[in-house]
Amino acid sequence: MAATAMEHDGGGDVVTPGEFLGNSLSLLAGRGAYADGRSVRASVTGHRRLVPPPPGSSDQRSTVEVVGHKAHGAVPQPGSVVIARVTKVMARMASADIMCVDSKAVKEKFTGMIRQQDVRATEIDKVDMYQSYRPGDIIRALVLSLGDARAYYLSTAKNELGVVSARSIAGGTLVPISWTEMQCELTGQIEQRKVAKVE
Amino acid sequence: MSHARSARGEREELRRHLAVDSDWPRADGRSFHDCRPAFMQTGPTTAASGSAYAEFGKTKVIVSVFGPRESKKAMMYSDTGRLNCNVSYTTFATAIRGQGVDNKEYSAMLHKALEGAVMLHTFPKTTVDVFALVLESGGSDLPIIISCASLALADAGIMMYDLVTSVSVSCFGKNIIIDPTSDEEAWQDGSLMVAYMPSRKEITQLTLTGEWSDGKITNAVELCMDACSKLCDILRERLKDPSSLASE
Repeated sequence: MAATAMEHDGGGDVVTPGEFLGNSLSLLAGRGAYADGRSVRASVTGHRRLVPPPPGSSDQRSTVEVVGHKAHGAVPQPGSVVIARVTKVMARMASADIMCVDSKAVKEKFTGMIRQQDVRATEIDKVDMYQSYRPGDIIRALVLSLGDARAYYLSTAKNELGVVSARSIAGGTLVPISWTEMQCELTGQIEQRKVAKVE
Repeated sequence: MSHARSARGEREELRRHLAVDSDWPRADGRSFHDCRPAFMQTGPTTAASGSAYAEFGKTKVIVSVFGPRESKKAMMYSDTGRLNCNVSYTTFATAIRGQGVDNKEYSAMLHKALEGAVMLHTFPKTTVDVFALVLESGGSDLPIIISCASLALADAGIMMYDLVTSVSVSCFGKNIIIDPTSDEEAWQDGSLMVAYMPSRKEITQLTLTGEWSDGKITNAVELCMDACSKLCDILRERLKDPSSLASE
């Protein structure tokens, strides 16, 4: 069973929510499955797939997953890296619309917020928000927490986080020249940003 | 006047038949324990995350599921997700032209029937919206909305413990008839609606109204649960359909 499912890469039989996948004594619930007492059941529609236990693990049970069908749209989770567009910059915070979560585009709009103390890792009390972001900047950020009722809390306090793409006042593309400065392609004017180190 | 009286006479006649006779064919030719033929389809609304259409005899329902998406700004923070249900009727759904307003009672009951089946902890802080629109009301509207909504939720890829199906029965004297039409609902002595998770064998909602003798209730609940299991097989078949699976 496991062999055939692996060969077709998710080509196992199709299951629907609530369907019995196996006994929890012999199976572990993976993605798209859940354990309910002694039975393991599917929680989404998709192909049933068995993943053998990693070699050397104490638990000899295989993991059963339900994959291959459409899952609901991506939702930001604490710890996920998001791409967002800055919408508003204020003295103590900036707000941004989240566009991608971990390389997946979101279907619905989610609002994020970067507080002054979360912009960079050093000298966090001397951050000037207006010298870090401008509305329209595309940033890469880490989701710190679910935040409050209004927004997710984002952080750019890492080298690889910050502005990845921006336009200057003149309308030209900004090219990063240091981790705090970007230069306009057209006018050569230097603007301040919290620049991300893009590999 | 004479027409109205004869119509009422006919109704009384039909009601007496339903109440006293053992298994007399109903107005649409079904026997007492037959459901109407069900037609269900996923994906009629392309703009939604998931959707489903259900047609049981004259009753036609369309349910669209959106999200998970950001909760409204006015909402309090919550660690678990929210399920927002809304049931509305089109202006042409009933024989008498309606207002097309939201049905608050059905919205609340749909929410109660579904919330036990949806894994709300899988989408914290966000909301899943379920919009049900009754295109034509032909009886047993709410149970059909519930079944159709669970199919739409499954189509949207929302994590659920099980599919929820729902069936209602009407009580007429000593008889119980399943899946009543609007006419039958209008004349019934009492009604029972069960929303059920067939794989887990759990009831998520049970509504009992009107006049019932105690012995019959057990029978009626069992009849509903049996019909729910069969309806659930239809739902699963729909979900496994290659055409619905292909919509990646």
